[in-house]
Amino acid sequence: MEEKVRKIIYKHRNDDSKLLAILHDVQNEFGYIPEDAIKTIAKELGMKKGEVYDAASFYSFFKFEPEGKHEVMICDCIVCHIKGSERIIERIEKEFGVKMGETTKDGKFTFKIVEGLGHCEHSPVMMVDGKIYGDLTPDKAVEILRGCE
Amino acid sequence: MLLLKDARNVEDYLAQGGFKALRKALEFEQDEIIKEVETSGLWGRGGAAFPTGLKMKFVRKERKTPKYIVANADEGEPGTFKDRVLMERNPYQILEGMIISAYAIGAKKGFFYIRYEYRDIAKDIERKIEELRRLGILGPNIYGSKFSFDIELVLGAGAYVCGEETALMESIEGKRGFPRIKPPYPAQYGLWGKPTLINNVETLANIPVVMRMGGANYSRLGKKGCSGPKLFSVSGFVKEPGVYEANLGEKTIGEIIELAGGVEGKFKGIMLGGGAAGFILNEEYLDMPLCFKDAKERGLFLGTGDIIVFNESVELWDILLNIAKFFEHESCGQCFPCRYGTKRMREIIEKIVCGEGRKEDIEKLNATARAMKIASLCPLGTSAMLAYESAMNNFREELMGVIQ
Repeated sequence: MEEKVRKIIYKHRNDDSKLLAILHDVQNEFGYIPEDAIKTIAKELGMKKGEVYDAASFYSFFKFEPEGKHEVMICDCIVCHIKGSERIIERIEKEFGVKMGETTKDGKFTFKIVEGLGHCEHSPVMMVDGKIYGDLTPDKAVEILRGCE
Repeated sequence: MLLLKDARNVEDYLAQGGFKALRKALEFEQDEIIKEVETSGLWGRGGAAFPTGLKMKFVRKERKTPKYIVANADEGEPGTFKDRVLMERNPYQILEGMIISAYAIGAKKGFFYIRYEYRDIAKDIERKIEELRRLGILGPNIYGSKFSFDIELVLGAGAYVCGEETALMESIEGKRGFPRIKPPYPAQYGLWGKPTLINNVETLANIPVVMRMGGANYSRLGKKGCSGPKLFSVSGFVKEPGVYEANLGEKTIGEIIELAGGVEGKFKGIMLGGGAAGFILNEEYLDMPLCFKDAKERGLFLGTGDIIVFNESVELWDILLNIAKFFEHESCGQCFPCRYGTKRMREIIEKIVCGEGRKEDIEKLNATARAMKIASLCPLGTSAMLAYESAMNNFREELMGVIQ
């Protein structure tokens, strides 16, 4: 792991804004930010481990434990809310037997509520692994998720 | 359209006269460009509506070097999506505006900060930056001039508060996105303590327009003293939600709603301004021209220029709870009035939504709102109650109807 993290750090050697870029790449590589990676980043950037964690943990999209295979973000901002996001959330919780914030038992999905995916012309929306799905109904949302491998 | 063009690739952009403004600007003295921007009457499009030329002037006159420029694409207000649509449809105009502004203030390095939710667009912008380097429009000696400039893309990681300029700079520096105490302002003490110009991407896209037509002509677009094209994000219960462009002062709120296909269902009200940090208004405001000054006269802000339309199905306490939860989650926790105030507002509103609201709760809400407004460190804390307060002004009967 150390080797891979070092490579990522090297890739960003000329960036002025390093830390977020490194953390993003580490998360892309491992699916989350392992503690050992934080150790390596701290050493290489001349920071304390706590300093790296302090900064990283501020941001909601950095993960420090492995999560489900697919990351599902359901938008519950004002616009999605008035357009029925609550019904979608209820339906998903029932259908997959989880609460928002949790991972399904088979490790396939992690569900999260977010506030503002910025696609309000298609509210209600959700994002699955970075891809936006809009104009959702509870049925349509479940259908899209059932279609995930 | 001056902003909402379709120029997704560089050939199209060049065919539409792209980068002519930059070539022209490179023949100008730096101060002349700033003068044009000042004359144009362009005000910032990111929510604060600060005169853009003045901001440039502040950075220009600083002696410290290096100087930096930042494009703020951390569009996080619920109901606001105009920056996203602009970046998708007309990305080069933003980059051109950034290069011109950098030249005017004397910056050699810029940062383009995009929120994580738009990571696909971020990848696209990064490719375009690389493309402009190959074309000699970024990098050393741009268009054969003495001016050299480059841009680094920074991807955020999910923090609403990073849209606030000083929090965004902390984030670029690789720290928690805690807002700084101002003054000093970014013009004096920005990125790594150096003079920094930070502008919203829509503001930057206006710079080539100013340079092409000249500041004086630009100032005649729209209403005097409130000029230029502006993007409006229209969402909620309208038939054709989307981003619409109009010169400031030319259209009323009602007319923009008509542009978006009109109301779906029976009109109840709107939310205007910066998403959660906006105002809940009734039909009396439909005649208000969309202009910074008209808004200010009524004690409002246009903010990022978004309009969320409510129909009869929308329950206001429910909306206010949604907004309160949003702010509780997004408060960065650095200053106490906001950290505790947002939590307390959410708790009280939750109680009201459950049907247990009493008169004392309204008093507590009002006191909390007042304290946050006076004592919070950054605009997140001082705007978290605007929706509640404006709803109370405009829909008092409905809101008080459930209070025991």
